[in-house]
Amino acid sequence: MRIHELTKQYDGKTVVDAVSFSIPKGKVISLIGPNGAGKSTVMGMISRLIAHDSGLVEFEGKDIGKWKSKELSKRLAILTQSNNIQMKLTVRELVSFGRFPYSGNRITPEDSAIIDRAIAYMELEAFQDRFIDELSGGQRQRAMIAMVIAQDTEYVLLDEPTNNLDIYHATNMMKIVRRLCDELGKTVILVLHEINYAAFYSDYICAFKNGSVAKFGTVEEVITKENLSDIYQVDFEILNIAGKPLSIYY
Amino acid sequence: MNLTAVRSNRNKLMLLAVLVLLCAAAYLLVEVNLDSPKLFAYAMKIRTPKLIAMLITAFAIGGASLVFQSVINNTIVTPCLLGMNSLYTLIHTAVVFFLGSGSIVATHANLSFAVDVLLMGIAATIIYSWIFQKTNHNVLYVLLVGTVLTSFFGSIQTTLTRVMDPNEYDTLLSTLVASFSNINSEIILLSVVLLGAIVWFLRKDLALLDVLTLGKAQAINLGVDYDRCIRRLLLGVTLCIAVATAMVGPISFLGLIIANLSRQLLKTYRHSQLVLGSALFGMLVLVGGQLIVEHVYTYAVPVSVFITVGGGLYFLYLLLTRKKV
Repeated sequence: MRIHELTKQYDGKTVVDAVSFSIPKGKVISLIGPNGAGKSTVMGMISRLIAHDSGLVEFEGKDIGKWKSKELSKRLAILTQSNNIQMKLTVRELVSFGRFPYSGNRITPEDSAIIDRAIAYMELEAFQDRFIDELSGGQRQRAMIAMVIAQDTEYVLLDEPTNNLDIYHATNMMKIVRRLCDELGKTVILVLHEINYAAFYSDYICAFKNGSVAKFGTVEEVITKENLSDIYQVDFEILNIAGKPLSIYY
Repeated sequence: MNLTAVRSNRNKLMLLAVLVLLCAAAYLLVEVNLDSPKLFAYAMKIRTPKLIAMLITAFAIGGASLVFQSVINNTIVTPCLLGMNSLYTLIHTAVVFFLGSGSIVATHANLSFAVDVLLMGIAATIIYSWIFQKTNHNVLYVLLVGTVLTSFFGSIQTTLTRVMDPNEYDTLLSTLVASFSNINSEIILLSVVLLGAIVWFLRKDLALLDVLTLGKAQAINLGVDYDRCIRRLLLGVTLCIAVATAMVGPISFLGLIIANLSRQLLKTYRHSQLVLGSALFGMLVLVGGQLIVEHVYTYAVPVSVFITVGGGLYFLYLLLTRKKV
């Protein structure tokens, strides 16, 4: 996937300005940056939820706008934070929706097997017949991930998956992200606020500042004292823990 | 959903259908003189069109309200909150106002209905897709704008009737205030054709309703062309409301009651069952209600009063018992 000169304006104000970078396959890529830096907007444009004004999102050699929506949904899954589902849905029913691009409303035996595996992978067997509005935030998040797994896409885009989760659930979430990449071979792109989660769990980091890419590279290249101080305008210290550059700010 | 729930819902729907049939039979046959074929034929001639009109109305309002709620993603709204009823009344008045009550469009019931529906479809598509685009599908804004539009359309309509020639107004009134005791039965055939066409035309979009209720982002994620689908479904809703309003006049709470009864009874996300349930509940309420009105209250209280009072109470109950609106 390649992003080329992507630009977005809201009411004449440029929020994303000629952003270009390439997304390596089979890796975890985190988009970080201060509020209003444009990372979520870029994410929205990559996932076709937000229309871009100019530039190009090239997905497997083809402009993302030229893909058939249905075909794209078999290759690219998006999970946003706005999950206000009004319907009475059980966990299993929610996960079943992941098969919609393939089978529509009719679930085949093959789909059932995939759904079973997705539920087992997220350790949701005990909850599968519970309604999702009866679940805790962490469980619901896992159910959503199970749906994405059932969707069986090569690319998974997560918009702030650790938002509103406590450190236990947020850390578990990041471990799941790592497993999606290492065990299932997916390319995971996520927007994160916590720099240390990004540093510890991703392979590449794309740091945004004022609507442009300030730095894109491996974790070690991006997470340095100078880079972070420049991007966030705060003093940073970098510690090396478990071989990863973790930061503290004050 | 597991299979037992699907089956138990199917049984519930069957039971509803049987109840509707019983009500319909009762409506046709209660206090009919079966001994004299002439009297029997006369009674049927009066009652059958009314029954059919009620069934059509129930189907149109039940289906439209449920689809509308799912599109808006909120279960306590109805299409009349967006002013669709008032828009229809306005269009009907405007046609008579500008063309005159003697014109062929106004005198010919089916032609008048067709023109109204056509105008309604065009106007509503422009107005409502604009609202949705402008507000970014924000339900609260949509409803707010809708409420303002309701009174806006209402005021224009009132103004038109006030400057109208009194004789014109008199003829207009008889078609304008359609009600359950004054059902516009001339347009039954056209309505059935129209509703059939809508359902056929939207069959693919209707199959997407289950996914649409997951929200815009999820629907797009699962490969739905969201904006197009919403536009088409809203057009369908508008036309259904136009049919119902033309047939029996505006009934505000009916859609809210039957859509929610269906949701409460079936407790599912499957719209194939929900829409059917909603339509069946509508038929039960209308036919059963009319039966009671005609034979217990002997027309003293119109059925719309029951629906409004019952609907109001049910609406309050929904508001008070729900944790989240």
